[in-house]
Order: sequence, then structure tokens, then C-alpha cells
Amino acid sequence: MLSVKGLKANVGEKEILQGLDLEVGPGEVHAIMGPNGSGKSTFAHVLSGREGYEVTDGSVTFDGADLLELEPEERARIGLFLAFQYPVELPGVNNTYFLKAALNAIRKSRGEEELDAVSFMRLMKERLKILHLDDSLLKRPVNFGFSGGEKKRNEIFQMAMLEPKLAILDETDSGLDIDALRIVADGVNALRSPERSMLVVTHYQRLLDYIQPDYVHVLAKGRIIRSGGKELALELEEKGYGWIVGEEAA
Amino acid sequence: MSAAAKNIATEPQAQPGPFDGWLRGTGDDIDAVAGGLSWLARERTDALARVRGQGAPTAKTEGWRYTGLRSLIEQDFRPVDEPLTAVVADDLEDVLVPGLDAHRIVLVNGRYAPELCVTDDLPKGVRVGGLRETLAQDPDALEDLLTRIAGEGSHVFASLNTAGMDDGLVMLLERGAVVERPIEVIHLSVGMDEPRVAQPRHLVRLGDGAQAELIERYVSLGESLYCTNSVLEIALGRDAILKHRRLQSESPNAFHITGLYLRQGENSRYHGVNIGLGGAWARTDLIMRFAGEHAECDLVGLYLAGDKQLIDYHMDVRHALPNCSSRETFKGIVHGKGKAVFDGLVYVAQDAQKTDAAMSNRNLILSDSAEVDTKPQLEIYADDVKCSHGTTVGQIEPEMLFYLRSRGISAPIARRMLCLGFAGEIIDALGNQALQDYVAEQVGQRLEQAPI
Ligand SMILES: Nc1ncnc2c1ncn2[C@@H]1O[C@H](COP(=O)(O)OP(=O)(O)OP(=O)(O)O)[C@@H](O)[C@H]1O
Ligand SMILES: [Mg+2]
Repeated sequence: MLSVKGLKANVGEKEILQGLDLEVGPGEVHAIMGPNGSGKSTFAHVLSGREGYEVTDGSVTFDGADLLELEPEERARIGLFLAFQYPVELPGVNNTYFLKAALNAIRKSRGEEELDAVSFMRLMKERLKILHLDDSLLKRPVNFGFSGGEKKRNEIFQMAMLEPKLAILDETDSGLDIDALRIVADGVNALRSPERSMLVVTHYQRLLDYIQPDYVHVLAKGRIIRSGGKELALELEEKGYGWIVGEEAA
Repeated sequence: MSAAAKNIATEPQAQPGPFDGWLRGTGDDIDAVAGGLSWLARERTDALARVRGQGAPTAKTEGWRYTGLRSLIEQDFRPVDEPLTAVVADDLEDVLVPGLDAHRIVLVNGRYAPELCVTDDLPKGVRVGGLRETLAQDPDALEDLLTRIAGEGSHVFASLNTAGMDDGLVMLLERGAVVERPIEVIHLSVGMDEPRVAQPRHLVRLGDGAQAELIERYVSLGESLYCTNSVLEIALGRDAILKHRRLQSESPNAFHITGLYLRQGENSRYHGVNIGLGGAWARTDLIMRFAGEHAECDLVGLYLAGDKQLIDYHMDVRHALPNCSSRETFKGIVHGKGKAVFDGLVYVAQDAQKTDAAMSNRNLILSDSAEVDTKPQLEIYADDVKCSHGTTVGQIEPEMLFYLRSRGISAPIARRMLCLGFAGEIIDALGNQALQDYVAEQVGQRLEQAPI
């Protein structure tokens, strides 16, 4: 599904990703943990094609495609989705209109018919329920004036609508109170399927109590320095990152 | 600026002026068009003298620093001469707003075209006609209105119009008349064999307590080259309410000048939305005056200028009386090598206490070669007032663009969505769904095709 080999990327002069390897199979859920500033969001952005990063080495293949060759919208159309750590507010851009444009762009690229207004509304209503979102949010501009929790739920709602093959959730749990966390996690779990892989970036074990990962990786200084099962997250919760980062350096 | 224009400025009447051609034949014709009205003949003779004396504004002239006139003068326009009878109702199909339910008035090249109008259902108390016919049949109806609202006007183009006017729209609402459906005025321009200028003069008066919504649209057939130099005088009686929508979307070769002169009576409300999509060169002056207290003047606008386009909005709002409020809310999107000028002047005289005035101009620049010159001006001489102003010139945020693209939306569509999002509040202010959809579509199309 996703195969990252020796990925190196710079921002300006600074090398942030320093040889990152990762293999994600279909339906697998991988958690990525790691200290602040270790490059988790950078990795997510490089995967989704954000400008401002220069890939200097390595390769990323996604479902057979050379991901790094594609424009951000093309990546989305072949099934990549990033739930942003900091979702952007789009004043004046209506949420419903935006989602419809996105979904239809993706459907069209797959040779599927565009959804008409009625079927789109029906689908939206159904998916809203999963996230316990109020449909008044749909009439508002995208993320505009949304609370932190609403923004995060809106990200997962978009994921529910766009049905990606690989979803990258960048700290979707950060800043959520425990109720909101449960809603988001339930939403994510509802979207788990044998065809859908997930990369879950998080600092907290609590999310992983809800979303049980198949694998846990530690990203530090731009590389995956330790991988394991879900018990690794528990260990990290207990001991912090110091011991692995230290071991690695030694 | 051409040498000829400079000469005129320093040596009045010594040389032929750059706009003499616009008035060719006017001198002999003044009395005829004035319908034997001595007051009008005098106004026009005075205007002619002003034109000869003033010449063309130069880059040093206040209000013309950023708006060059060379391309306009070079065209060497001649007045529209023949009445256009060739335009038939079918020709209008292409320029109509789908789904717009309105009374319709049409002018072709500045001339009132009754055969194209659909005004049968206008309620009583509303009188609509051409300026020429009204001058001929009932000139008294125009006295104290025509040329009296604009006065000398704010620059030579107003004088040119007064000297050269030969037709236009007259719309008079009696006291208390309420028109529920909007009245659409289509100003249609059709190119002629050589560059022609039309100088229509329009007059709108709402009597006390009258209410109407006026949708003016400037449109062209084809890509014709022409100039429209129009003056619109509006008088609002006490308690009158006018919603005024002005949509200018003309041929890429069109030159457009409008001077809108408004006189507002006590407690009247004027709500104007200006949408400027083009033309090659467009200059609009909105000159607003309060003649009574507690009046509200709301000016909203959106302009979109791309390659080979100049769009210029000048506002001049003068609070001479207390307790009035004015708003200027303009947004602009400039792309390619487009250029936009915004100049909003709000003057609050010493006696105009309790004035509430706000001005804002926000611009989105989509390319490095686009240019915006924005100049908000508040001159306040009263001490008990509420006034604010702000201008911004910014770009599309890359994060926003990326967010949309990361959802599968292509870059051009994403840009279009963000620009429409930016323009949305102005388009919404049109308050008429058919018109909103039409404008959003026009703006969207232009943006999608626009080279960035
Ligand atoms: N646009 C940028 N310009 C300069 N430095 C950047 C930029 N983006 C990221 N960095 C730097 O790259 C490093 C990695 O940042 P990144 O956001 O990927 O970390 P992270 O692992 O997601 O951290 P957090 O856990 O705090 O979200 C940091 O040192 C950060 O300051
Ligand atoms: Mg991060």
C-alpha cells in the first residue's frame, strides 16, 4: 500500500527527514509517535505534497504510484487523505459546497459519476451521524469560527466522505477533551476496513486505547528509530522517549 | 499624457482639446436638444466652456494619479450618431440574467429603446421614459433635477456629459410609490464602424417614501470597442429607499466612465452594490451628498481586474449634516497584469456631529504583475463621530490553497473557490438569488480562465 524508503527532506537548508523507512500494508493501522519537532508533521506534509519541502533522497510508492511525482490533488484522488494537525479556516468557502467539489473531483478522476445534490445530501447526513456533528456546520464556511474540537471532527467527517485508502491523522486527538476524543476515535474506528490503512500520529496512549494500532513507530530526528506492536506505546507512555533516543545515539 | 493635453491645461482654449471630438456637432445642437429650455441650454453652454477650459486631467490632477488617460484619448472617439434600430429582442438573449424576474428597460448605445423594454406591469406612480422624449414632452418634470444634482460634477467627464447628452433614462417615482419587483436597466452597447462614444444622462428620482430596487447592467454585444461616458443623477426624497445594483461586465475593449451623483433626503436609505468586471478601462465616481439628517448610504463593491484591464472606483461621500451614516465596503481581486484603483473619500464637516462612517477596502492580488492602488481618506472636522477605515492588499494564503488541493480539488478550481469566498459577502449583498448566481458564475469563469 505505502512504501517509504530512505526518505530525506529539507525545509530550506535544514534536513528534517533524514532517511525514513516505513511499510504500511492494506488495512493496517500504524501509530507514529515521537518528540516535538521530530518531523512527524513534515512527514505527513511530504506525503500529501505540500509545497516548501524539498525531497533530496528516497522514494515513496503508494498503491504502485510514485507518490512524489504527483500534485497534491492527484494524491488525494488516488486515495490519500491528511487530517491536518491545524485545519485551515477558509472564510467564505461553504463547507457543503467544498465537500461536494472535493468528492466529485475524486469520483470523476476514478471514472465514477458525479453525485447529484440529493444523493450527496443523503450521504452527508449519514456520515454526519458517525461524527455526532451538527448539520449547521455544513452551512458555515469551512472550519471558520469552528471550535478546536469541531475542526478535528470536521477533518474526520471529510475523511468519512472521501473514503481514502490511506488516511494520515496528524494529532487529531490533541486538544480534545475526553468526550470529543471518544467521538473522534469512534468515527475513526467506524471507518476502519480491510482496504483502508491509517497512519495515526499522536503523542498520547489514550487515543491508542480507542484506536488499537497494529504497529507503533517512534520517529525521532527524522527517522523511524524503533518499531513494535501496541505494547511499545504503553512503554513510551511510561518511560518517555529518552531511553530509545538515548539507545539510538549510543 | 499627450502634448495636446498639457497645452490645454496651461493655455485654455488655445488648442483643440483632446475631447473636442466627443462633442463634434454639439455646439449647434444645444438648443435643439435642450428643447428650448433656457435653463438647460445655459447649463450645457457652461459645461461646454468648462470642457474647453479644463482639458484632460493629467497624472498630477487630484483623483487621476493612478489612472492614465492616454489609451482613452488615443481612441479619438466620435459621438454615437445614428439611432440603432437593428437591435432586436433576440439579441438580448445572450446578455440576460437567467431567472431574473424584473421589469426591463433597455438602452442601446445610450439611447432609450422603448421597443425592447418590458414595463407594462410597472405599478402606478412610476414613470419611465427616455430623456429626449421627456425633454420634448414634459420638460417641467426635470426642472430642479436634471443637472442640478450633479452640478458641475467632479471632473471634465461630467462636463462633457452635460454638454454632449442626447438621451438617457428618466425614472420618476411619485411620493409613496413602491415597486416590488426589481427594475432592470440594460445598458447595451454595440460597436460601430469606428470608435464611438455615447454620453447618456440618466435621472432617477424617488419621491418621499418611495421604494425601488434598480439593477443596472452595462453589457456589450461581442467584443466591440466603444466608450460610454454616463452620468446618473439620483434624488431620494424623505424616507425613500433605493436598492441599487450596478453590474458592469462589458467587452474587453470597452471604455467606461460613470459619474453617479446622489442626493439623499432625510431618513432615506441608499444601498448600492457595484460589481465591476470590466472592460478595458473603467472609471466610476460615486458622489454622495446628504440633504437631510438620519439618512444612510451604504456602498458595497467588488471589482475584478485582469490582463489589459483597469478598474477605478472613486468615492466622495460628504457629511455636511449631523446624524447620517455611510459605509464603503469594497473588495477587489486583481490578476494577470490587471490594475485597480480605489479611492474612498469621506468628508465629515464640523457640523456633522454623530456621523457614523466606515470605510474598508480589501484586495486580493493573484499575480506579481497585478497592481492595486488604494487610498482611503477620512477627513473629519466634527468631534462627536464614529469613523473607521481600513485597507488591505494580500494574496491567497498558500495553506488555504493546499488544504483544498489536499482534498482532490484542482489548483484553478481551488483558487476560484478562495476568490469567490473572499468576494462572497459582496456578492451576497446583491440580495437577489438570480443575480448572485450570475455574478458568482461570471467572476468564477473569469478567474478560472485567468492567467495567474
Ligand atoms: N516551514 C518550516 N520552516 C522551518 N522549519 C520548519 C518548517 N516546518 C517544520 N520545521 C521544523 O522542522 C522540524 C520538524 O517539525 P514538524 O512539524 O514536522 O515536527 P512534529 O514532529 O510534527 O512536531 P509536533 O509534535 O510538535 O507536532 C521542527 O524543528 C520544525 O521547527
Ligand atoms: Mg506535528
